[in-house]
Amino acid sequence: MTGRLLRSRGARKFRRNRLAMAALGVILLYFATAVFLFFGGVSMEATKERVAPKHTPGFFQTPDLDQRLAFAMHFISEVDSATRLASRRDQHPHDILVEKALAERRPARLEPQRYDELLDEAFGILEEELDLVDNIADHPELEPRVERVEEIAAAFFPMPTGWEGRAYWSRTFLGSDAAGQSISIRAIYSIKVAFQIGLITSVISVLFGSLLGAAAAFFGGWVDHAITWVFSTLSSIPYLVLLSVLIVVFFGTIFDDPERPFLSLVPIYVAFCSTFWIGPCRVIRGETMKIKELEYVQAATAIGFGRVYILLKHVIPNTAHLMFINFSLLFIGAIKSEVILSFLGLGVKGQASWGIMIRDAKDEVASYFFWQIGAATFLMFVLVLAFNIFTDALQDAFDPRHVD
Amino acid sequence: MALMEVRNLVKRFPVRGGVLNRVIGHVHAVSDVSFDVHKGETLGVVGESGCGKSTLGKMLIRLIEPTSGTIRYEGKDITTLDHVELMPFRRTMQIIFQDPYSSLNPRLTVRSLLREAIAFHRIVPRAEMDEYITNLIRKVGLRADAADKFPHEFSGGQRQRIGIARALATRPEFIVADEPVSALDVSIQAQVLNLLMDLKDEFGLTLVFISHDLKVIQHFCDRVMVMYLGRAVEMMPCLDLDEQARHPYSKALLGANPIDDPSDRRPLTILQGDVPSPFNVPKGCPFTGRCPEVIDRCREEMPPAVSHSDGHLVACWVASEGVAECQRGA
Ligand SMILES: Nc1ncnc2c1ncn2[C@@H]1O[C@H](COP(=O)(O)OP(=O)(O)O)[C@@H](O)[C@H]1O
Ligand SMILES: [Mg+2]
Repeated sequence: MTGRLLRSRGARKFRRNRLAMAALGVILLYFATAVFLFFGGVSMEATKERVAPKHTPGFFQTPDLDQRLAFAMHFISEVDSATRLASRRDQHPHDILVEKALAERRPARLEPQRYDELLDEAFGILEEELDLVDNIADHPELEPRVERVEEIAAAFFPMPTGWEGRAYWSRTFLGSDAAGQSISIRAIYSIKVAFQIGLITSVISVLFGSLLGAAAAFFGGWVDHAITWVFSTLSSIPYLVLLSVLIVVFFGTIFDDPERPFLSLVPIYVAFCSTFWIGPCRVIRGETMKIKELEYVQAATAIGFGRVYILLKHVIPNTAHLMFINFSLLFIGAIKSEVILSFLGLGVKGQASWGIMIRDAKDEVASYFFWQIGAATFLMFVLVLAFNIFTDALQDAFDPRHVD
Repeated sequence: MALMEVRNLVKRFPVRGGVLNRVIGHVHAVSDVSFDVHKGETLGVVGESGCGKSTLGKMLIRLIEPTSGTIRYEGKDITTLDHVELMPFRRTMQIIFQDPYSSLNPRLTVRSLLREAIAFHRIVPRAEMDEYITNLIRKVGLRADAADKFPHEFSGGQRQRIGIARALATRPEFIVADEPVSALDVSIQAQVLNLLMDLKDEFGLTLVFISHDLKVIQHFCDRVMVMYLGRAVEMMPCLDLDEQARHPYSKALLGANPIDDPSDRRPLTILQGDVPSPFNVPKGCPFTGRCPEVIDRCREEMPPAVSHSDGHLVACWVASEGVAECQRGA
């Protein structure tokens, strides 16, 4: 059935559409990333790890002196508490620091007395020179001193090089959020939950809706009346309301546990699927109305095949292109809805999602920090755009009613 | 005994409308049609588009449920059979459709659509399936490599041949050919018609051949039934159709045929007016509005089918005047 679809005239028309092929490439890239993430390519802990001080800007924006100092002091205070603990336990400070490796930056192993020397120097600069001014950002002449503190921090935690350096860069090049978590990791990790929700809800909705729609049109009579009644009734309930009810119903159960990221999505799946199937159901019902009058269906009846066989073998396969288009429409609809719900706090819990990132960025935007909202919206925008182009091209290629 | 006996067959389609989508009337697609089909013959059914030919043809093989009336096949009433009881008749009775495009499932190769039917009725053992299919494809004049192609790879004429192969796949005895060449180019109509007639002889088929073209019917059929607005108005052998046609509508149809012989100077009877809608047919003869020979009685009463000579039935007050024994036909 799919093979036939891929060899059809529509498929050839689709392949000639350069833009659509590019969009397909982008979608496949996202999909590969989602699969990679799904099989643990990036651990969930990595999205929660503190890789930098809060609101560190991304690669092309130089942080101001204030932020640079805070960033350096972040490492220095780690070393400070580690040396104290080490002297009490009579250990080498490095043994304590290795456990605290910050992101990809590993502690250097220095002579024990070197720790105290450098710490003294750093705190000296801080207390005697830098703490005297109100706002270091307004005092560019202090930059060499901040640089010295940065050097000391780098002595404790050298900048990684080679592959480790690249990994470090990949975590910090888009900056960090209010909790010091990597924006790049979180934005990419969000692809996983977006695809998970998009795929599961659209596959279930399309299969379920198409089957019901085809059955309704094909068998007619009370089957049609019943199915039409159900979807007209359901479609009058906005899924937000449905979801709110489901959240109350599932409150406190295993479906409401941020520690179980998969199960906690169940209310969303249920709410989405129970409204999303209506679209494909309507479309496939209309198409089946047409197909069932066609002579090849009558020919199948004349041979003596049963109704169900005819429905499955001769009718539904001929709606495959519409199922495909609907799948694409619903997929992107589900992802957008997921983002909106997560933004409202009704959606994803306990894992990174574009909606949560955008919500977290609410306050940052007021202070001109756009890295988080920028990364989340960019990744979402590219995916939605690619899917819209893809769906349009599908409709052009496969839906005869869609004029080009 | 006739192979098929059709008695008082009626089909009314409900017409829905209004806000409540209630039944507001009926289309009288086929009204009170009775006739016999003899074994081995080709019965032509002719009439203008919309006169109920397809509805009649599909009722004969139970693709459309009759509103009333009976159809007996080899003496057995098939109008009341359920799906399971109908199975042997499904194998025996087949149909060839008009539209070569919508009559083939675009997702099935020729082989799979033939195999489906053959396997369902267990026509040949599995091992002989491929050979049987190849033979069938050759029989309808296609190359053996057509088997693994999809319908869209064929021309209209070739697709119609595939439709014929499908109809023959179950080794039927009775075939309804519903305007099998009307959708084809004139240049290939004759080829497909000749093929059909050859196959009919080869397989000993009984054919109900539907067409709106009396000339084609004259050429290929043994008997012809002329339909007008859901009714059979004349039934006669094809041989001397030109001379013997009695019903004004049949005569008009003959006049509308292009004439081969330029010396033939019969006046053309041009049909006046439009076909009345089969939705709420007037009482009396349906042809009154356009009939050149109409008399008062025509508007009051539907004329009965009257036997003019052996095997020649006419339903017309004017034409049947003077025919002594006014016996009901069939
Ligand atoms: N399924 C249907 N529902 C309602 N009316 C129908 C249906 N099928 C046919 N008709 C009507 O019945 C009449 C006869 O149609 P048909 O048998 O297709 O005529 P023909 O084959 O002679 O052109 C037409 O007026 C047509 O509109
Ligand atoms: Mg017809």
